[in-house]
Amino acid sequence: MSTDLAVGRQVQLGYERIVAVTPSDVSIPLGKLTAIIGPNGSGKSTLLHAIGGLITPQAGQLDVAYPRHRISYVMQSVAFPEGVPLSVREVVRMGRYPSAGWFGRFRGVDKQRVDEVMARLNVTDLGKRHLEELSGGQRQRVYVAQGMAQDHDVLLLDEPLTGLDIVSARIIDDIIHDETDRGRTVVLTTHDLAEARAADHVVLMSGRVVASGPPEQVLTEENLREAYNLGELHENGGLFIDSPHEEC
Amino acid sequence: MIDWILDPFLLGFQQRALIGGLIAAVMSATVGVWLVLRGMSFFGDAFVHGVLPGIAAAVVFDFNPILGAAVAAAVMVGAVEVIHRHTHLKEDTAIGLLFVGMMALGVVIISRSDSYSGSLTSILFGDALGVSWEAIRQQAVLAAIVIAGSLLLYRPLMALSFSPVKAESLGMRPKLTHALLLVLIATSVIGSFQAVGTMLVFSLLVAPPATAALLSRSIPTMIAVSALIGAASVFIGLILSFHLGTAAAATMALVPIAAFLVIMEYQYLRRRLAGRGRA
Repeated sequence: MSTDLAVGRQVQLGYERIVAVTPSDVSIPLGKLTAIIGPNGSGKSTLLHAIGGLITPQAGQLDVAYPRHRISYVMQSVAFPEGVPLSVREVVRMGRYPSAGWFGRFRGVDKQRVDEVMARLNVTDLGKRHLEELSGGQRQRVYVAQGMAQDHDVLLLDEPLTGLDIVSARIIDDIIHDETDRGRTVVLTTHDLAEARAADHVVLMSGRVVASGPPEQVLTEENLREAYNLGELHENGGLFIDSPHEEC
Repeated sequence: MIDWILDPFLLGFQQRALIGGLIAAVMSATVGVWLVLRGMSFFGDAFVHGVLPGIAAAVVFDFNPILGAAVAAAVMVGAVEVIHRHTHLKEDTAIGLLFVGMMALGVVIISRSDSYSGSLTSILFGDALGVSWEAIRQQAVLAAIVIAGSLLLYRPLMALSFSPVKAESLGMRPKLTHALLLVLIATSVIGSFQAVGTMLVFSLLVAPPATAALLSRSIPTMIAVSALIGAASVFIGLILSFHLGTAAAATMALVPIAAFLVIMEYQYLRRRLAGRGRA
């Protein structure tokens, strides 16, 4: 039985004509928390999209242990559709779409799952509000609730803790660790060295995979200098290395 | 007052104009909700003009205009996609090019017609008072397809409006959904142009949903309100056109836009007054 969620061999990733990750080898372990870290435009989100089956490799090979419908993808809270009148509850309910399909009826179990995850993420009281009426932290909790509403074995989160208030960050952090305690695989992207150090496995990116493995082996000064292009590195006890939310 | 409202609908051709207009309005206003939520209004505008050469060719070479419009719509969508894929230009540039190109081609084709200006006016602005029962029957079938499609595809369209990436991750097949939305919009344009003309279909596709967006807190409500505003626009437009002696289709098209502006200003003033009250 494979011990890896994803194994890439000389895998090249990108969108249309743009190459975001040049040919690299990478592996992401099953049942662990993996952090993908790197500067803006280093290909973190692209690798996450590839693991989630949202893009196919431009070259090389990427084997993923689970089919796409068992992988739940949580997008960044900065991305939300302006002017679309969607309530928080409807957004969370979308997490049941893979089970219900285009036309299937929602059953009691679907409603129950939506209620449960909304309570866990503390967004029940926000149910009738619209996304654009929420703070970034509230919106991120809603997106995590949407991801948790889906039947899944793997949770992918795109910068889930970036710029959040303390309450939201703690709730989402608890969810992440609860998932791995249950034996599920969690992969997240981050700009925060402290977050990456707390993970079981780290992938350091810089337009390619610079290094991957246990945090203490990957997050060395030499590797970080290489990934972040020398003098820009100043850890400051785990604060942001560079400004988030500018990656494609 | 009752006579003032009913007088415009006493004659058969006036009743057919009302029915044809209502069908066009409800069909366009329903699918138009997804057009507006997807931020595709410019594409919708170009699309409406893009069918012109197909209809013009049908007029000149005497074949079914619905077939001509369908072929032109397919060419338009295909050409936008080809330009977008073969260049680094953004999609709106391709849409703009095709918008002008297809409209100009339509005018070039129709200029070969003996009754150039009459045919062009009829295509662009419709002939609401000349709609036949046969045209209404065809329109009703197309409207049933568009309305059923807009409602049946609710989940994939909602996921697509939320985020194409998320829609993909949820298995909602956003590319197929987008293609089906284009088919629904094309069907709506094809089913409406005889009653209200190609230029004015756009008003019914965009203005009722945009007005409904100001008044709705959910997508189902937006669809219902949009259909109601579309239907009311046709009804009020025909009454005004009759009493003012103005062009029927153009008057119908102006009503939802006027409604949008009035509601927008009312809401803005109400917010400002409420803000002042709190200060």
